[in-house]
Amino acid sequence: MRGIAKRYPGVVALDGVDLEVRRGEVHVLLGENGAGKSTLMKVLAGAVRRDAGEVRIDGEAVALGDPRAAQRAGVSIIYQEFNLVPHLSVADNLYLGREPRGAWPGLIDQKTMVRDASRQLAALGVSIDPQARVADLGVAEQQMVEVAKALSIDARILVMDEPTSALTEQEIERLFTVIRSLRARGVAVIYISHRMEELFQIGDRVTVMRDGRHVGTRVLADCTMDELVRLMVGRALTEQFPARTARQGEEALRVEGLCRRGVLHDISFSLRRGEVVGLAGLMGSGRTELARAIFGADPIDAGRIWLRGRAVTIRSPRQAIREGLGFLTEDRKRQGLVLCRDIEENTSLAHLDRFTRAGVLSPRRAAETAGRLTTELRVKTPGLGQRVVNLSGGNQQKVVLAKWLCREADVLIFDEPTRGIDVGAKAEIYQLIQRLAGEGRAILMISSELPEILGLSDRILVMHRGHLAGEFRGGEVTPEQLLHCALGSPPAP
Amino acid sequence: MKFTPVLLFAAVSLSLLAGCGRSPDPAASAGSAAAAGPVIALVPKTLNNPFFIDMQRGAEEAARAAGVTLVVQAAERETDVERQMQIIENLIQRKVSALILAPSGSREIVPVVLKANQADIPVLIVDTRLDAAALQASGGKTVTFIGSDNHEGGKIAGQFAVERLGGQGRVAVLEGIAGHETGDARVRGFREALRGHPGITIVASQPANWERDQGYTVFQNILQANPTVNALFAANDLMALGAVEAIAAAGKTGKVTVIGFDAQDEARAAVKAGKMAATIAQNPALMGRTAVERAVALLKGEPVPADIGVSIELVK
Amino acid sequence: MTLPRFLVANARQAGTVAVFLVLCLVLSVLTPHFLTTSNLLNVAQQTVINAVIAVGLTYVILSGGIDLSVGSVLALAGVVLALALQAGWPVPLAIGACLVVGAACGTVNGLLVAFGRLPPFIATLGLMSVARGGALLVTDGRPVSGFDASFRWLATGEVLGIPVPVWCMLAVYGVAHFVLKRTKFGRYVVAIGGNEEASLLSGVPVAACKVGIYALGGGLAAAASVLLTARLNSAQPIAGLSYELDAIAATVIGGTSLMGGQGSVFGTLVGALIMGVLRNGLNLLGVSSYVQQVVIGAVIIAAVLLDTVFKGSKR
Repeated sequence: MRGIAKRYPGVVALDGVDLEVRRGEVHVLLGENGAGKSTLMKVLAGAVRRDAGEVRIDGEAVALGDPRAAQRAGVSIIYQEFNLVPHLSVADNLYLGREPRGAWPGLIDQKTMVRDASRQLAALGVSIDPQARVADLGVAEQQMVEVAKALSIDARILVMDEPTSALTEQEIERLFTVIRSLRARGVAVIYISHRMEELFQIGDRVTVMRDGRHVGTRVLADCTMDELVRLMVGRALTEQFPARTARQGEEALRVEGLCRRGVLHDISFSLRRGEVVGLAGLMGSGRTELARAIFGADPIDAGRIWLRGRAVTIRSPRQAIREGLGFLTEDRKRQGLVLCRDIEENTSLAHLDRFTRAGVLSPRRAAETAGRLTTELRVKTPGLGQRVVNLSGGNQQKVVLAKWLCREADVLIFDEPTRGIDVGAKAEIYQLIQRLAGEGRAILMISSELPEILGLSDRILVMHRGHLAGEFRGGEVTPEQLLHCALGSPPAP
Repeated sequence: MKFTPVLLFAAVSLSLLAGCGRSPDPAASAGSAAAAGPVIALVPKTLNNPFFIDMQRGAEEAARAAGVTLVVQAAERETDVERQMQIIENLIQRKVSALILAPSGSREIVPVVLKANQADIPVLIVDTRLDAAALQASGGKTVTFIGSDNHEGGKIAGQFAVERLGGQGRVAVLEGIAGHETGDARVRGFREALRGHPGITIVASQPANWERDQGYTVFQNILQANPTVNALFAANDLMALGAVEAIAAAGKTGKVTVIGFDAQDEARAAVKAGKMAATIAQNPALMGRTAVERAVALLKGEPVPADIGVSIELVK
Repeated sequence: MTLPRFLVANARQAGTVAVFLVLCLVLSVLTPHFLTTSNLLNVAQQTVINAVIAVGLTYVILSGGIDLSVGSVLALAGVVLALALQAGWPVPLAIGACLVVGAACGTVNGLLVAFGRLPPFIATLGLMSVARGGALLVTDGRPVSGFDASFRWLATGEVLGIPVPVWCMLAVYGVAHFVLKRTKFGRYVVAIGGNEEASLLSGVPVAACKVGIYALGGGLAAAASVLLTARLNSAQPIAGLSYELDAIAATVIGGTSLMGGQGSVFGTLVGALIMGVLRNGLNLLGVSSYVQQVVIGAVIIAAVLLDTVFKGSKR
């Protein structure tokens, strides 16, 4: 790809980017959110038309006018949000749009399709029933289905956008095995991720982008993490995790014997003002479900909740919010934001009372507050009237944060606050969490990233299959101990 | 860039409308050249019903003969009074010389008749009478009514039924939309004719809203409930033709005496083929022709009688 | 905010407005009868019924729903109004009863959607039939006609040279615009349409809002029935057949997304005016009734297509 440019009204998304990927290499694409990685990949996938530049595959210039043309050219992309039809079977999804023809035109040869599907999946070394419904699969399995789908169209170039963000360590390891075998087969893999450790494990070369420009390409074996971070942010990053300064006060939240049949079993814990409690565990261990239950989004079968020492019954999110709870959901697009509305509307949504007088809304006051918060959180946007859908992932997350800061909730639950966010924005969010704790709020932080949990938490709770499996003091626990606890296995002596 | 689509739209709509303006429709040519002589407007209830299409045809012939311009406009639905009202309001804006109207609602349309009066446009009513009380209450005026006596038509149908059944029988009735003067009058006339013949009973009387498909389903249901029905009077041919199909589907062709109303081409053919026993000919083409002729006479200052009957005949 | 700035801030509506102006321009070139005060007032009056129903639908569609029952609710509320008037109720009381009936029908829709978890399409389809049947039942299928001049003033009266129905329409639009832009309820409507899950988790009382939205839709259909009954001096149980489709068309032409979350009350007014002007213009031109239907359908498609092209060019 040479000199690729793409302009949006008011924004230059790509400014003459070059990218060269060789066969049989894993090429990492790195950059902060909004650096233009996703746009560049969309150009490659034919989903976005470039304004300038050319793309050559195996030396041949290709037009890439639409996604089908890109597919024919051998480009396949696995997006962060999966492109699977949830209510169809795995096999149906693998061959969607190119089903093997049955006895009559319009009929599908189910047998062949299922057989081919299971062969594809077996080649990846995964055991997934091709006739299972995609909606019934776990995230990691869905990921594998995506990979299988990409490979089943004979992709020569495979792009993976944040493939590991929802996977456990084990699943990541399995994915890497698959990627290595692809590399051995001569497939060019373009790998986008924010998890720096991973890059060194899996990548051969890395291209760093910043602000829609190509900043540099390095061989990964020859460079350090610091160097990459410097390239990405254009400045040296100070300490990633801010020092803990918050003083702990009285109890803010206490949960006793919380149960939800089949999901949560007898969960009890408490949270103090000024305290950051990390909630660790594998996918599906019940962390998000616990947060939703406390927040009144899901009904509970048993258990009691105290807020600031007062017993409360929370039946709906609305009530939870009135009681001073805030909940940053893990899936900001589906649960956190109203994408088609603007920044001001999103930040003020949870707390419109604050901007109404006699039932009449004051857009001016709402905009002032939104303006203050977005400046404070350093949201990159041309204006408050910008629709949230046009923002990058990190900026979207900051808007969700702004919503809860606007609300001034006492107890904040963060579910994967840094998922899909670049290093710079991560550090900002860490500092913010620290600052919020310093202001005397109690914070429960769910995260799949162990360094984050270890670096930020005063206390760490670990969940395993709906039970609270362990509690540790921050700074007194090793990642291995946490992992063992989360896996439900006794720590090695 | 953002105005390109708007310009595109402008171009398309311009050519579309201009195309309409130039259409060979003789009515349309008067659109922009208002000075070309008197323009007479005909507003039937709808143009989806062959009855009104025949009326339009008759009116067009008369207009051509008299050398006047005729504009025909109608709502999509026979029941949409509000839309008919809008059409008339728009024609008043166009300053037509005379208005011939087949009211969709005998009372509802009165306010707009008043508006035409105020604009000094004479109103001739065809086919369906206005509600006399409502008209009088509003102070509106119409020049004349041109139409056949629906009540009389119903009576003729009833007499035919009595004759055909030999004084013994079980009869079903398919009504038009409830509250429509036309349908009510036909059914009233029919019932009147049956009175005094105790051997004949009306076993079912249901509305099928003037429509063919409803005629089919409603009569199918009636057949389910009363398998011994041996005669049917439908207040228009469309419903009768629907019922004919239902009878065929039930394997009872020839066993039920079907009498329709309007004598449309299709109904006449069905009578010839023996699927229907009879239909009442209203002659809508004659209504349309007479209405235009009278309107022209009126514009010349000639007197027009207040009630002009159009003959009714039984087609069997 | 000055008009040009307002248009820039609402680029999508600017497109609709431009379409409207182009249409008016074309018609005034083609026929001398179009651009007269009396005809423009005439068009405004003819737009009122559809426009008032469409406001309610705009709220419903903004919230990601649909309401197919408005035409039937209009008929039911209309006959209730007419029967109340004929029973000698004072005009304001009868109108109140009519609005209550409309809002009650809407509330039923809302309850079915919010608590019964029925898809709006199904719930309102059901109520469409129920309300129609109800209207036929209470009137025995016959129109109810003949009212006092004091009631009919709503259709025939003029204030400052503008017919009363047009004032009513402007008032409804003014209030609806204000509520959408400047109240919590309005914010919640678009938030629910944009992302129901996120709204729920942000503490928006989603269920209560939905009930309110559909009640508003039913209430506005009833308001339209007041104006229609006054206009026809009669309430028909078969009134309003397929009015829901006209109102949906006006809403969509006005730029409201059928997916919910995006749109405006102002756009709907322009959408309703486009439809009104088009029908009026085609009548004035003497275009055949058959061609009219083709042209109106084509314009609906073109207007929405334009919207897609418009959004596409920004992407």
